[in-house]
Amino acid sequence: MSLPPQLKKTDTSFWDERRGIIRTEKGGWVIGEAVYNHGYSMMDDLVGTASFFQVLLLNATGRLPERRLADWLEALFICLSWPDARIWCNQISSLAGTMRTSPVAGVSAGILASDSRMYGPGVAVAGSEFIIAGLRNKLDGITAEQIVAGYPKRRADGTPVIPGFVRPIASGDERVEAMEKVATDLQFANGDHLALAYEIEEVMINKYNEGMNLLGYAAAFLCDQKFSAFEISCILSTWVHSGTHACFAEATQNPPESFFPLHCSDIDYRGKEARAVPPRQ
Amino acid sequence: MTTKHPKVQQRQGEFASRPVTRIWQEQETATNPYLAESCRCHGYDLFELMQHRRFVEVLLLLFQGELPTPEQTDLMEALMIACINPGPRHPAGRAAMNAGVSRSNTAHILPIALSVMGGTHLGGEEVVAAMRFFQAQQERNPAEVAGELLAAAVPPRKGDWHIAPGFGSRFGDIDPLATALASQLHEKPGCGHALHWGDCLAQELRSWRLGWLSPGIAAAVFIDLGLPPRAGAGLFQLLCAPGLLAHGLEMADKPITAMPFLDKEHYVIAAAAQKN
Repeated sequence: MSLPPQLKKTDTSFWDERRGIIRTEKGGWVIGEAVYNHGYSMMDDLVGTASFFQVLLLNATGRLPERRLADWLEALFICLSWPDARIWCNQISSLAGTMRTSPVAGVSAGILASDSRMYGPGVAVAGSEFIIAGLRNKLDGITAEQIVAGYPKRRADGTPVIPGFVRPIASGDERVEAMEKVATDLQFANGDHLALAYEIEEVMINKYNEGMNLLGYAAAFLCDQKFSAFEISCILSTWVHSGTHACFAEATQNPPESFFPLHCSDIDYRGKEARAVPPRQ
Repeated sequence: MTTKHPKVQQRQGEFASRPVTRIWQEQETATNPYLAESCRCHGYDLFELMQHRRFVEVLLLLFQGELPTPEQTDLMEALMIACINPGPRHPAGRAAMNAGVSRSNTAHILPIALSVMGGTHLGGEEVVAAMRFFQAQQERNPAEVAGELLAAAVPPRKGDWHIAPGFGSRFGDIDPLATALASQLHEKPGCGHALHWGDCLAQELRSWRLGWLSPGIAAAVFIDLGLPPRAGAGLFQLLCAPGLLAHGLEMADKPITAMPFLDKEHYVIAAAAQKN
């Protein structure tokens, strides 16, 4: 067995090439000339012409989409814009508001909380990877029923916990139907990923009474639009943004610490009983 | 007709060619300039500090530039214990628990909770304001200051009254825990003028059911330790962090049902907010 030769000095050329310099393919501000974004001049080509969601997609993926896809995405964001202070991320923004954080801190804390394994954009990668792998399997001849049967993660009652096909708090998802209407109005046809998602939903409904949720629908739709799982998670990273605003705003309109206060007895303590601190050895 | 706007030009300015710090010095290795083989904190070797000093001493060294006296160390450590957990009812604690139970990435629990702990009401920003209040007022007679504050004050019609940063009511009353914590810190040999003065001010405000609040206590200790107001918010968040993280993590492996989710009888939506 031969070992690689010992170096007297470490080769740091990779980092040396990057030391003191930033190279970007995205764009930037050439002061006095223009702000460039993926080959567009922002002030000349995008501001007042493209929608915010078109520019969001451009920044996240490097591709400027057609307007109707950005409009579809905007509708998708509205679907997660509930002003309901019971939803975990929203409640965090309410708690921030009641403690008078800055709006940026309060809204950001809510968005950060939605990076969850249970709901919101935190599940986007898992949901997208599931439907991408599922379509690969389908093309190899595996049925939707077999895909569901082979899914390893299960609840105690045997229900598969497939990202995009289970939902906390409630089963079924009213937002899917709303987005289907948006897609129809914008003249989007169902692609292969979405077709498989509907087949999986049928199995889930028949066997476990669980339907496809909004993430399952959105992930399949966006996969059909040729976005990767990682791109989808980037695009959806601030998905809950608008709802956290509502909850933060309402909390700031009321006196500090008046949002949902708790009595001491509202906390159920089940730890050790009171005991003396032992003397230092 | 439109206004003619000036041409955009880069401003002329002298930018440093590299960042400057007085805090930390790294000694590069002989073979790789990206790697440090040792470092010094305000001149003290990190390995020597590890061997001979306590965490709290090095913490104060970072911010003050000199190692603290035993009395200062004892005072800071007592404050760290006093602040270690805002508790499971505090909105920051509940934010951590919400994040934990709802499967937020556990790496986010602390940033989320500390965001809530950073506000102007009982949070980091109130500590900064209280430190500035101490700096401006602590050489004056506390009775006079209290009199002026009370004369000029317009108490809120609803909710708590913070008559000055770090002093006020909590749920309409004097906070007994804050009062007791301040009292215990007051007995420490490292206790300085700000804690004494704050205690006198709290006494003057008692009849209005106003007293010490936790940011006021932290601010007084930070001032007595010679720390600048700009350090107050972050240090207060740092001191409160352990308990917030513990509460978040306690919930992180529990089912979603481990926290209340209000039913429709307890989540009341105003009629005007509902579709007719």
